Amino acid sequence: MRTTAPVAIAFLSGIAMVLAFFFNEETTFVGRLSNELLNWLIIIGGFTLLLGVVSITRVNLAAVKRRKEGWGYKVLTLLAILAMSLPSVLSSSWSSLFGRSDGSIYDWLFINLQMPMMATMFATLAFYIASAAYRAFRARSSEATILLITATLVMLWRVPMGEAFLNLFPGDIPGLLNTYIMNGANLAVQRGIIIGAALGASAMSLRIILGIERTYMGKG
Amino acid sequence: MSFWDQMQQMDRRWIYLMVGIAVIIPFIVPAKFPVSVTPEVQTFFDAVEALPDSSAVMLVFDYYPSTMAETTPMAVVGARHLFRKDCRIITLSNIPLGGPSLAEAVTREVAAEYGKVYGVDYVNLGYKYGYVSVLKGMGLSIESIFPTDNSGTPLSELPIMDSVKNYEDIAFVFEVADNATADYWISIVNAGYSVPMGVGATAVMAPKFYAFVGAGQIVGLLGGMKGAAEYEILLGQPDAAFRGMDIQSLVHLLIIGLVVLGNVGYFMGRQHKRGLKL
Repeated sequence: MRTTAPVAIAFLSGIAMVLAFFFNEETTFVGRLSNELLNWLIIIGGFTLLLGVVSITRVNLAAVKRRKEGWGYKVLTLLAILAMSLPSVLSSSWSSLFGRSDGSIYDWLFINLQMPMMATMFATLAFYIASAAYRAFRARSSEATILLITATLVMLWRVPMGEAFLNLFPGDIPGLLNTYIMNGANLAVQRGIIIGAALGASAMSLRIILGIERTYMGKG
Repeated sequence: MSFWDQMQQMDRRWIYLMVGIAVIIPFIVPAKFPVSVTPEVQTFFDAVEALPDSSAVMLVFDYYPSTMAETTPMAVVGARHLFRKDCRIITLSNIPLGGPSLAEAVTREVAAEYGKVYGVDYVNLGYKYGYVSVLKGMGLSIESIFPTDNSGTPLSELPIMDSVKNYEDIAFVFEVADNATADYWISIVNAGYSVPMGVGATAVMAPKFYAFVGAGQIVGLLGGMKGAAEYEILLGQPDAAFRGMDIQSLVHLLIIGLVVLGNVGYFMGRQHKRGLKL
């Protein structure tokens, strides 16, 4: 029963969603059923977000109680969760500091702390990429050499200074790069990847619908 | 250890220092090299320009704050173009971490430039879990998926939503993304409901979307900060992305220089070793 019920639910839900593609979503039973299932997905998803918050709070709280190594950071994590979540879920009708709109605590913390911190973390990539390119990008084989030359040309083309440099040479090199690399080789490869990924996703969906793939239940 | 071997093992902190300097110099001495416009950005701009005035357009903030240096200029320039055309902007996000707040911050700033009023000229629907369900559900009724806006006001109380019920009332989708949600907008909203759309994607994602431009599924593509800079030029309002081009130019040139230097060191080192063996 513990296996049969989830497999049956997955089968019926999956079949309903597939069939709904061929039916009117407003006037037919299958169409309305698929919309109902999508609404359930949104509601269940909301609870999974809540579950995430509860889980991270519990784990960190337990670590703080046991004074585990680095417990101070976990206190900060808990404080951050409280500071961001509590004022945002309280009604803005009580105070303009609550809610998520302009002038609220959440809005201030988001714009002045979270945004710069996340952007800073991501910006450090520029340093690592420069270092990695210097150390690892070598013309060790003919394939690597083609990749290196292509990457160098595209990097030049994608910035105004590089484009100005390419324009010093005869012929419309930036135009040729756009036509033959981005809209030529790149486009063909991307299409192959997209079609391959779509076929893979379809095969996996079919396996789940037919109950062959059961890893989502924690079973092989 | 030969000179070439030593060069191969240059302390990475020197590289970090060089990148730091390359980022700072353009702030002090801006070069302002001309930015040429690629066909993908031109078609995107033309499609928005061709929209009838006061059309309802979805401006989607599907990106995290981490990539805002690249993506926010796209959203800003998109909002400017749409407001300039008196289009009504409906913003939403499929990103739980910050999407709605980014939408709030960008539209608030741009709306003030054009004297636009919240609830009449633009609205922020916020975030709802499950992008496939959300995108599919809005095809039937936007209000059933987002009964209220981001601050909890019922959509029925917002004049902008009076004439916008589902995708049939949406003239264009301006999607700004740093993740795979753009694929779902294309496969569900464009393919399923024939809503024309354009995508602004981070530079690392942009190559993938050339396939969708080629297939005619998206009208155009803004690839990274360069794409946003091109759009700013077309709009006649060079701003953050255009200024960023100087920095990106120098850092790109530095990386190319380092790659060349690294390869020179590699080949010279190899030759030096061969010479020692002989």
